[in-house]
Amino acid sequence: MNGPTPAEISAQLITFCAAGMLVFQLLLIVQRMLLTNIRLFALQSFLLTSIAGIIAYFHNATHVYLVAALTLIGKVVFLPWLLDRQVRRIGISQEIEPLLNAPASMLLCGGLTLLSYIVARPFTALERLGNNTLGIAMSLVLTGFFLMFNRRKAITQVLALLTVENGVMLAAVALTTYGMPLVVELGIFFDVVVAVMVLGILVYRIRDSFASMDTSKLNQLKG
Amino acid sequence: MNELSATLLPCALWTYLAGMVGAVLFQRAERLANGIGFGLGAVGGFCGILAFATALATGAAAVNQSFDLFPSLIPYVRFSIRADALGCFFGLMVSLLAVAISIYSLGYARGYYGHKNVGVLAAFFNLLLLATTLVFLADNAFFFLVVWEIMAFCGYALVSFEHEKEESRSAGVLFFIMSHLGTGCLILGFLLLFQASGSHGFDSFHALGDQMPEGRRNLVFLLFLFGFGIKAGMIPLHIWLPAAHPVAPSNVSAFMSGVLIKTGIYGITRVCFDFLGSPPNWWGVTVLALGTVSAVLGVLYALMEHDLKRLLAYHSIENIGIILMGLGASLMFLHSGHPVLASLALIAGLYHTLNHASFKALLFLGAGAVLHATHTRNMEELGGLAKRMRWTALFFLVGAVAISALPPLNGFVSEWLTYQSLLQGFGTTPSLIRLMFPLSGAMLALTGALAAACFVKAFGITFLAQPRSDHARHAHEASWPLLGGQAILTAACVFLGLFPTAFLKLLDPVTQQLTGRQLSAQLSAAGGLALSSGTAQGGMVSTPGITLMLLGLLPLPLVLWLVFARKARTRPGPTWDCGLRGLTPQMEYTATGFSKPLRMIFKALFRPRREVQREYDFSPYYARTIRFESHVEEMFQTRVYRPFNLAVLRLSRRLRALQAGSLQAYLIYIFITLLLLLLFAL
Repeated sequence: MNGPTPAEISAQLITFCAAGMLVFQLLLIVQRMLLTNIRLFALQSFLLTSIAGIIAYFHNATHVYLVAALTLIGKVVFLPWLLDRQVRRIGISQEIEPLLNAPASMLLCGGLTLLSYIVARPFTALERLGNNTLGIAMSLVLTGFFLMFNRRKAITQVLALLTVENGVMLAAVALTTYGMPLVVELGIFFDVVVAVMVLGILVYRIRDSFASMDTSKLNQLKG
Repeated sequence: MNELSATLLPCALWTYLAGMVGAVLFQRAERLANGIGFGLGAVGGFCGILAFATALATGAAAVNQSFDLFPSLIPYVRFSIRADALGCFFGLMVSLLAVAISIYSLGYARGYYGHKNVGVLAAFFNLLLLATTLVFLADNAFFFLVVWEIMAFCGYALVSFEHEKEESRSAGVLFFIMSHLGTGCLILGFLLLFQASGSHGFDSFHALGDQMPEGRRNLVFLLFLFGFGIKAGMIPLHIWLPAAHPVAPSNVSAFMSGVLIKTGIYGITRVCFDFLGSPPNWWGVTVLALGTVSAVLGVLYALMEHDLKRLLAYHSIENIGIILMGLGASLMFLHSGHPVLASLALIAGLYHTLNHASFKALLFLGAGAVLHATHTRNMEELGGLAKRMRWTALFFLVGAVAISALPPLNGFVSEWLTYQSLLQGFGTTPSLIRLMFPLSGAMLALTGALAAACFVKAFGITFLAQPRSDHARHAHEASWPLLGGQAILTAACVFLGLFPTAFLKLLDPVTQQLTGRQLSAQLSAAGGLALSSGTAQGGMVSTPGITLMLLGLLPLPLVLWLVFARKARTRPGPTWDCGLRGLTPQMEYTATGFSKPLRMIFKALFRPRREVQREYDFSPYYARTIRFESHVEEMFQTRVYRPFNLAVLRLSRRLRALQAGSLQAYLIYIFITLLLLLLFAL
């Protein structure tokens, strides 16, 4: 009996990790504790790192190791640490009253995931790695968006933006064997880091001005 | 293009650039900045005159070479220049005004010492000169649009140069908005041309219209007419012009009125005669009709003004109308297959372009000198300046005679040519549309008469009689640079009026390029001393002859006196007082009073409104105070632009509901858009 070929193993592993990412995303949507949210995001990013690592290992693409390393340092260690510190400093640990309650959000996200799978179906032939990775990537983007407008705390919105970015990265991995060109990856990576820093500062400013980090209060700025 | 002009042309361009850089560098030392900036502007203009005049004088074949201004760093973008005949002609106009206005500015800018940054004024002025020259020389659509925008930007900066005044700021913004509206149309037009030719070089656009589908070609025509019409100040797109010209520094108003609005004329000529091939009849009819409307309405509104510079600004609209009449008639002749008449009408239009540049700039410089001396533009506060500013008055009078199209000056020559082409147009086509020609000829006559009335008012109220205010009473003659600038333009007006046949030779390459005919030999009669209309039916006129006749008539009063009145008793006394002593300024005719009859005749157009408030103790005949207010309605302002503005505001107020200011709402907008796009992809 022949064992599975390395390509099959890698495909299986990638599918597994991608599915894990989706699971963490859905957990993020129902979870209200900010600190737990950050950890869930870190875990999701870790799965992304693993996917990059698997690709690099099975396909001998050494530069993808660099991508994996950057993701590990940035999204698994640095950004969660930064956000963690902010949450502790501000001292607000829970998201109150999202737009939609947990069951409704769950249902809606289920629908969005379904939609993404349908939309991605014509492209499954183009996927080189894993099954339905593109579908998962798109559902990460859509649910990330939903998360962004469902929550009011700036921190959660930052997290949501980061999960959208994870989705984009996953799509890039799924459609092109070795990810996007390195330069583009680096660009996106620094973009995200800078965006998070800026948003982090903004969170402080909002809190200073409105004694809260509820972004829906920003409409008081309207003239 | 011969050796001389090939070296002088880049010389002129780099000199303008040097003037700009120099003025910025030395802006702390305002005298130096003034000298360097405007001095180099004048030098550059002088080089330009030599370059363009020699290029045109050596003939059509010599005037068509292109070269790159500097090597491009961006792929597909070339900053290439082509000095063809049409470009050279307009370039000549810029250079002439550059010399005169730069010299004038050397004196005028002194008025800003100490409270405004003269270096910035000079720098923007030089950049404007450079950009305008390049607009006429640009050889591809991309480069054209770049310099066109630089020109508009400089215009904006200069209009709002005295930005501490609310009036200047709002005029600048209006200019900016209208200008961009026009540029938008130009970009669309060029894109359509680009689509048809596959390249953005102007040589690839040549006669391109013949290969385009009819609808597309008409769309291109309308886009360009709208875009360039805004810059030209054609009615009904003129509203920025009477707002912007008066508030700009006078040297800038002179340049804007003289050259900047002519870039619109250049564009229309370039597009209609060069790019779009043989024109359908309605193009010519449209241009002719718009020209006629602009001419008549422009002069009518000018009559109602008593702000000297606003009056001149409205006259620019009138003259743009006259130029457009020439161009429109030319297009109609091209359609009906009369290339000689088409060339005649084109010559009339282009000649009037140059003439208007010289006399209108002269008048604006004169108005600037008056403003410089009296600090007011309101004619009701002027008067009696002829005794205090002799030279300025003389120059202004020459300009006024020229713009009123009185022989023997240049305005007469070009309007005479326009009449000739219009009157002969009646026989060119059997269709009813030929009624356009005599009709617009009659309107041109009306315009000329009204313009003369208007300048009787402008000159009479400003320079004659007694001063109406202390400002006018204490005015002094302008300094020599101010007079020098005006003298150059006065000389140009006289030369262009007295020796048109000599000048028409320079237009030969232009008509050769655009209509394939050269008319200067046909137009010159009696050894170049008389101007004929080039065809058997047309007339003939000689401005030198008229001048000699006028000079001959000068001693007539003396002769009459010698013959009839030598024996009569004479008693010297002050003029116009009819034997009563003690004339005061209160007894003088006012500008408003002078134009009252016309205001009444054209009541339907002006809708004059007046308000009189009297305060009296026991009888209205012994009023303590009387307050009198009179307004004239600017029809397009109130009937077209204001309703449009209000509609836009209403719409935006409605759209503001979308702008909730809530981050969540914005995110939901994005999300829904994304979803819809995905579903659409399914």
